Amino acid sequence: MNNSPIIAENLVRHFGDVHAVKGIDLEVKAGEVFGFLGPNGAGKSTAVRMLTTLLRPTSGTARVAGFDVVKQADQVRRNIGVALQDAAIDPLMTGAELLALQAVLYGIPSSSLKKRSDELLERVGLTAAASRRVSTYSGGMRRRLDLALSLIHQPTVLFLDEPTTGLDPMSRLTLWEEVRRLNREGTTVMLTTQYLEEADQLADRIAIIDHGKIVREGKPADLKASVGAPTLIINTNIDQVEKANAVLSTFGDLRPGAEGALGVGLRGGASQVTEVVRKLDEAGVHVQHLEINEPSLDDVFAEATGYRLEGADNAPSAGDNGDEEPKKKKRRGRK
Amino acid sequence: MSTTANAVSTTLSTHDMHSTTMRSSWQLVKRSLINTRRLPSAFFPTLAMPIFNMISFSGTFFALTRLPGFPTDRSVNWFMPLGLAMGAAFSGVGLGFSLIRDLENGFYDRLRMSPTSRTSLIVGPILATWIRVTLVTLIVFGVGTLLGARPTAGVLSYLCSWIAAIGISTIGAGWGLGLAFRFQDMRGAAIMQMSIFLTMFLSTAQVPLYVMTGWLHTVARINPITNIFRLSRSGWVNATDPGYMSWSNSYGGLIAIAALSALTVIFALRSLQKIDN
Repeated sequence: MNNSPIIAENLVRHFGDVHAVKGIDLEVKAGEVFGFLGPNGAGKSTAVRMLTTLLRPTSGTARVAGFDVVKQADQVRRNIGVALQDAAIDPLMTGAELLALQAVLYGIPSSSLKKRSDELLERVGLTAAASRRVSTYSGGMRRRLDLALSLIHQPTVLFLDEPTTGLDPMSRLTLWEEVRRLNREGTTVMLTTQYLEEADQLADRIAIIDHGKIVREGKPADLKASVGAPTLIINTNIDQVEKANAVLSTFGDLRPGAEGALGVGLRGGASQVTEVVRKLDEAGVHVQHLEINEPSLDDVFAEATGYRLEGADNAPSAGDNGDEEPKKKKRRGRK
Repeated sequence: MSTTANAVSTTLSTHDMHSTTMRSSWQLVKRSLINTRRLPSAFFPTLAMPIFNMISFSGTFFALTRLPGFPTDRSVNWFMPLGLAMGAAFSGVGLGFSLIRDLENGFYDRLRMSPTSRTSLIVGPILATWIRVTLVTLIVFGVGTLLGARPTAGVLSYLCSWIAAIGISTIGAGWGLGLAFRFQDMRGAAIMQMSIFLTMFLSTAQVPLYVMTGWLHTVARINPITNIFRLSRSGWVNATDPGYMSWSNSYGGLIAIAALSALTVIFALRSLQKIDN
């Protein structure tokens, strides 16, 4: 029998005519940090909501912590911790009160409730703010409290749904460190994110989801290696795009660049840059900006989907096509 | 690394389950009362409306008491139970409003993701509503007394009115929660308010049955809320009135409370299960 803590087989979720998740297969191994990467509206949150028992799959099966998410939802709930996208925390309550509520809901005995709450508050650096109302907390403090709440019952599997969206860089680093620490302690983590760097930094393996389907899956290093050549990115005048593309295509496969930039995967490696510049010059293309990037997860994403995740607000996301859970269809600020 | 093999033991005994349900319910009561204390403006209408109604109706419709056969010569005796019912209904459907806020801001997902029993997610907030309604009832009794309300059946007068208020709040809460779960947004709130107050005013809320005519009389006669008002007022009408405190004037109200409470709470539970599905 497969002992992996998260297994999904052909998981599908429709909302009427809207197909938010179109049959995903996943296996997250024990002790992994698994990154679930995709733009807004790709189906990440819908998938997580199914895996965390908040939403019934239209079809397909999933087992989390060894239990079926539909038939054994209660057992799944006892074994997972979840910090959802919006850090849904009652602003009128204090951090300590919320931890007490969460502890009771998870059946933690009164005798150990205070000790456990204090440990968690200390762990996430909120001891001093424990008796303050959550409405006075910063975004980073709310996220840390959310994390503490999700850990109250010492879950074996932790779901973090876009845990750092909207956080400042310092708060983001603090949260990353905490995720690493939890993972070192043995917790399996499934992390959904729209941030490439986050997935790259934290995840042992990642899956890229787009329009409700997993389009790539593997270790970040392997995925980047699969893209191969470094990418040369240039910016030029809009009326010279066609001419520039004609030149660039002689050096390798064209790759979409962010916000109007042009890109090409250099077959011959970075040493070809000089030649590319000369050819562009000969063709009369005025290069405004040039950079060379080693393969990144964004390249992997671009190769898999045809557009880039960085600056993906302009990309044809699933949400734009209505392929997302209707209630969650909203845009967020980007990094 | 722990995996399926050492997943937490999940078998709870029946005693454990009851105990967990009770603790969870009580914790949700605490949360609700904390929110009431920290956001009194949300509680204010529940308190102000019954007092305002009692004062305005008993003053404006004072002449009703001169109708031949009117059950009491004190208009405040007649309208205080109406005020209580309004406050109780407000408290009940107010629970639906709170739930909509929790659903919209995602807090309810946190509750749903916990392994606590679904019953506690319904029972806890209803118990909190009972506490709020009891507080409102005590204040309305106090103001009513200052305005001249006098019980005609001693302590039983207060007890019956309180039971009726608790009953109406439970019915309102069950209905409000059920609609909130179904709609999950403010559309539910409009239906909650309109339906509960329409049902209330199509009963003997304002005038006795014998002064009504036509369809209104028919509707009020079969409306179970009329029985609840009969129970609530039985200790505030004259001792000579046919509606005075007696078992025959009480059991209809008690049955109506039990039946409607059961129906609306089942509706709420079913609606919650529907979200889970």
